[in-house]
Amino acid sequence: MSIVEVKRLVKRYPSFELKEVSFGIEAGRITGFVGRNGAGKTTTIKSMFNLIHPDSGEVDCFGRPLIGNEKEIKKRIGYSTGTVNWYPRKKIVDIVRVVSRFYDTWDDGAYKKYLELFELDERKAPVELSEGMKVKFNLLLALSHKAEVLILDEPTSGLDPFSRNELLDIFTGLKNEGAAVFFSTHIISDIEKCADDIVYISKGKIVAAMPREEFAGRYSKEKESLEETMLRMERGDFDA
Amino acid sequence: MRDIMRKEIRLSASPLAFLFIAFGLMFFIPGYPILCGVFFVTLGLFHSFQAAREANDIVFSALLPIAKRDVVKGKYLFVCFIEACALTLMAIATAIRMTALADAAAYRANPLMTANLFALGIALFIFGLFNWIFVGGFFKTAVKLGRPFVTYIVIAFLTISAAEALHHFSGLEPLNAFGTEYIALQGGLLIAGLLAFALMTFLSCKKACGNFERIDL
Repeated sequence: MSIVEVKRLVKRYPSFELKEVSFGIEAGRITGFVGRNGAGKTTTIKSMFNLIHPDSGEVDCFGRPLIGNEKEIKKRIGYSTGTVNWYPRKKIVDIVRVVSRFYDTWDDGAYKKYLELFELDERKAPVELSEGMKVKFNLLLALSHKAEVLILDEPTSGLDPFSRNELLDIFTGLKNEGAAVFFSTHIISDIEKCADDIVYISKGKIVAAMPREEFAGRYSKEKESLEETMLRMERGDFDA
Repeated sequence: MRDIMRKEIRLSASPLAFLFIAFGLMFFIPGYPILCGVFFVTLGLFHSFQAAREANDIVFSALLPIAKRDVVKGKYLFVCFIEACALTLMAIATAIRMTALADAAAYRANPLMTANLFALGIALFIFGLFNWIFVGGFFKTAVKLGRPFVTYIVIAFLTISAAEALHHFSGLEPLNAFGTEYIALQGGLLIAGLLAFALMTFLSCKKACGNFERIDL
């Protein structure tokens, strides 16, 4: 059974609709959530955290519905969203001091480990960090409370190729430790590098949700890269 | 709730919210509409909401392992904390003016409202208006601050003007009593202010929790 199950999520906006989005996130696997800008990735992820209220559908985490079990479930999930500035003028150490108290699973050892690994200076404020370092700070918060599932919205956007590569290696490390990593991206090479599963969304509808090999077998033409396959599918050509 | 309050004080609050508590001491100033001090305290709180919005505080809080309604309750708790601090200063100033300085010429010759229990009751009423109109209004969107604050300003200044004017009407002079004159009436008005504050804050918080559950962040 998936540790996170998204079931038939529907959200209607005047100019956009999330159409019965369903997929699962498996433990110990990396899932790439791919789609072009405006495909519905962020809306889906926000619904997974009850930040957006779907018109219908539900999200189950660890076998329990999110609604009604928010507090317990959020303790076991780490969330990071790109380069958003939380409290831009507060020092990292001050933000961490406050946040850590909300988690009984907060691990100071892990915090120090990732602080060092990401080469972050905890005396700095988010406003003083580069875009890449902001992503790492957001990840630091998510990783330091031993989250079993990491849900990351566009974690690689704005990063240079070196930092992106470094980050994808970290995902692999976390997977090896048993965590589930779910990250959205519109950069298909990120998926090619580390994802075990692919959830492909287009115009608010899930086109495919399956292991990467199965996706390639079903949709890719001979000698076609994943990027070429998706570009072709985005044009409406689904024939392998 | 202790952790949420710690977050409010250490991360979300603007230093002005704490600094403007000192406006509670305006209750000492003779010849000045003392209830403006109440408004200045809420101005500091407004700035705090503005600063928190720019720091993405609401979304950050909603992502913490707490129920969404606790984000709202945390804000109300912080606002009430600042209001209670300011009210304490106002109460100290009032107590001194009602006792040691009851016959001070500067206060006796003051044509404006004097600092007494009725003034404290009105201060509580204005704080209640802030919680009801501004804080409740903010949580309809968790983004827009302008309209609820302007509405609050208009109603708060109408209230201040009415409170300042009342004791000039025949028969309402006891509202501006000095020392311990009309203490029973004054005490009753203070309790009425306290009840109005509690009712407005409670109902507004309850409604804001419901609104916040429904909005998309």
